[in-house]
Amino acid sequence: MITLRPHEKLLYRATPRRAAAGRRTRRPAGQALRHAGRVFAAEALKQHRRSFGSKLVVFSMLIWPVMQLAATYYTVRPLAATPGIAERWPLAADPGLLLAFLATGTLGFTFFFSLVQSAWHFSFERVTGTLELLFLSPADRLVIVVANGFGALVQNAWLFTCFMIAAFTVLDVVHVAHPAMYAVVFLALLVPAIAWGAFLNSVLIFSRDSAFLYTLLDDPMWFAAGVRLPLFALPGWIRAAGSVLPLTGSLVVVRGALLSGQTAGELAPELAALAGLSALLFAAAVLALRLGEANAQRTGRLRLF
Amino acid sequence: MIRTVGLRKEFRTRRATTTAVAGLTLEIPRGRVTGLLGLNGAGKTTTIKILATLLRPTAGTVLVDDLDPLRDAGAVRRRINLIAGGERMVYARMTGRENLWYFGRLYDVPGAVLRPRVAELLELVGLSAAADTRVERYSRGMTQRLSIARGLINDPAYLLLDEPTLGLDAPIARDLRRVVARLAAEGTGVLLTSHYLAEVEELCQHVYVIAGGHHLTAGSPAELTARAGCHRSVRVTVTGAGPEVAAAVESLAADLGAAAVLDRAADGSLVASLSHPGEIAGPLAMAVVGAGGTLAGLEVAEPTLEDAILALNDRAGMVSA
Amino acid sequence: MSVLSFPVQVGWATFRRTWRVTRRAYPWSYFIGTLMLGVFTVGLAHLGLQAIGGGQVAAGFTAATGSADYLGYITVGAAAFMFTTHGVLWVGKALIEEQRAGTLGALLLAPARRLPYLLGFAGFAFTAIALEVAVLLGCALALGARPAAMGASQAALAVLTLGVAVFGMSVVLGGVMITAGEAHITQNTVFFAIALLSGFTFPRQDLPVVLQWLGELVPTTAAMDVIRGVFTTGAGVPPGRAAVAVLLGLAYTAAGLAYLPRAERHSMERNH
Repeated sequence: MITLRPHEKLLYRATPRRAAAGRRTRRPAGQALRHAGRVFAAEALKQHRRSFGSKLVVFSMLIWPVMQLAATYYTVRPLAATPGIAERWPLAADPGLLLAFLATGTLGFTFFFSLVQSAWHFSFERVTGTLELLFLSPADRLVIVVANGFGALVQNAWLFTCFMIAAFTVLDVVHVAHPAMYAVVFLALLVPAIAWGAFLNSVLIFSRDSAFLYTLLDDPMWFAAGVRLPLFALPGWIRAAGSVLPLTGSLVVVRGALLSGQTAGELAPELAALAGLSALLFAAAVLALRLGEANAQRTGRLRLF
Repeated sequence: MIRTVGLRKEFRTRRATTTAVAGLTLEIPRGRVTGLLGLNGAGKTTTIKILATLLRPTAGTVLVDDLDPLRDAGAVRRRINLIAGGERMVYARMTGRENLWYFGRLYDVPGAVLRPRVAELLELVGLSAAADTRVERYSRGMTQRLSIARGLINDPAYLLLDEPTLGLDAPIARDLRRVVARLAAEGTGVLLTSHYLAEVEELCQHVYVIAGGHHLTAGSPAELTARAGCHRSVRVTVTGAGPEVAAAVESLAADLGAAAVLDRAADGSLVASLSHPGEIAGPLAMAVVGAGGTLAGLEVAEPTLEDAILALNDRAGMVSA
Repeated sequence: MSVLSFPVQVGWATFRRTWRVTRRAYPWSYFIGTLMLGVFTVGLAHLGLQAIGGGQVAAGFTAATGSADYLGYITVGAAAFMFTTHGVLWVGKALIEEQRAGTLGALLLAPARRLPYLLGFAGFAFTAIALEVAVLLGCALALGARPAAMGASQAALAVLTLGVAVFGMSVVLGGVMITAGEAHITQNTVFFAIALLSGFTFPRQDLPVVLQWLGELVPTTAAMDVIRGVFTTGAGVPPGRAAVAVLLGLAYTAAGLAYLPRAERHSMERNH
């Protein structure tokens, strides 16, 4: 029941009114940045509320990946325990390192696939109508999609990340060139993942059939990104297809730094390519949002294709 | 002031082009409730969505406080908000308070202002007790009320209301009307579309009537009814009436060119109804008394906006609301 | 009009209706998803065999499986896994789909018809699954996989054994899904668990002993030994394992049928 009493002044009105009408001013950068920060925090909280306490996170982000990792390890091991493996793939000669190789793959896949999942959920906002409310607001659209991906990542990936750190400590397989390489590994997973999330969010909210993209980015992604096989085992055309997935580059850096003890200098080409791909994904996200919103304003339908 | 000049919106599909709005010129000043009437498909929702920056006009101009919604979309969006009736578009996994906080953040409401405003709005829509309950546990009506609060979260200078009371319980709808009237009195510019013409008549100081995307007429509800030449009807109840009373009433009706309906009530008294644009209560009473009848009751029904719209509609031949 | 024309009409109408409904509501994303999983599993084996194994497989694998054909082993496992997952998706989810469509209540008014309903549905489902698995096997053959061939009766017996095992699991899962009010977590947890425990893509002997015993609790494990005997080693149906698979499958079916009425009641109470 709306309980406005007849002579009661609306208290919330007692706040300063907006700037004088008609002034066409650009907001100072500081203000815009603060607004972006607020939107970011709000969107991340929304994401947190959506999935917090959900049993699904525990299953899809810990139990399933661990079971799948074990099954993959047992499936691949008969190939690694063959004569001459030290020449073909030196790393696999050590069962612990083989497991660590597959585990980093699972970790990376969990990171990137959790963003596919969250983008899929985000696409439902078009159906429920809240997407239109987001477009009604002055909030920066890119900030919303980036924050949504970031929120999903933090929400979903921490569990498996903790598990992996514990497992690696027990397995004692990590040999980094310098402690700072941990930061490189962290960034090489996080930045491309967020760019990936922003890109997927931007595309999926306007896509007619997001379930199809969801399916398309599940199995083909682990196959082409070298999650369960080293890249040299893949034929050239699959490697070419996989190179557009940021997960591929992330895994090269993560495995190089953690399992092969490579330095930032040695990984520089991969890091540069990863940075370039991330920038490209952000740019594609901006473009998709612009085109999608312009198309919605023209046709009245929130659809890009 | 929101001004539109020659506003036009076409939707093109591969097969055909449909014109939803065909050259509307509107003015929605601050501090007034402006009505927009028409039947389904008249272009009301399209117009509102253009004003809300959700649609881009095919032709014509829109200015919101002299800002162009295309070039200054951010600034315009800060000034406006939209409440659509039947809307339940909030996040089910968040509480009512969190929903309002979230949207407040999207509108860049500073934290020190947002906290009390959220509390105030929750109080306003009667959700204070359920503020920290997740929306998935809300009833339909509660969710709708939260949607109304969401529409006020940025303290909009212009509030666009698209059938806001659709599906609301009667007492809540009445309270919403009070809030709208109050907001307008305090300086908000409100644009209201509604199927409930009584609601428009109660709230709007100025009404635009559109049909098929075209401007039909405009004015205050009183002006519209006057212009439509609607009839007021007068009904008299006469006791002890002989045939001469009925004859007098019929002769008066014939003189005035008014339609007369005569009937006998259960207790034998005569009930006579006349409908005419002019003031006929006096002459009718005189005629009844002059013929020896005793007046037991006299009622005058003023024409309503609904009568006016129906009349306009019949005349235009295209509207039917 | 002859006496026979009416039943024929009804049959034709029913067939057309089922066909149309299935075609319209066919779970394409599940099909494509599980088909891709199968294809990529076989693809992984194919590429891994070349690049990692250098065309060979570890001696331990041959000793454990009785076969040196790694690609054939994975292909049989992937096809059986697809058979199992689709069986659960079709049959196990039939009841919760009814519940979601709001027709479960109507179904419950005829309690005696539950088993025929599920069997009838399974008959239809396994026909669909046979077609679906054939697509995967076609892909695997294109990659060079050559499963061991046995007599048609042995092959039919092995597939039937797996069918009984999957049916039993599906009935139990149908009850669990209705009780839990959700299918996604339940079905995927079961899929990941049996992928690890039942020896679809690697010999179970490699697993820790505890997990090997855990695997014996699900009927697909023994059924997979039967599948292996026929399609991998070519030794024929192992009678002991076939008996275990069928008995366990029937026990699951009986337990599931005994549990279903309670699950349905529970779900009705929760929903109202």
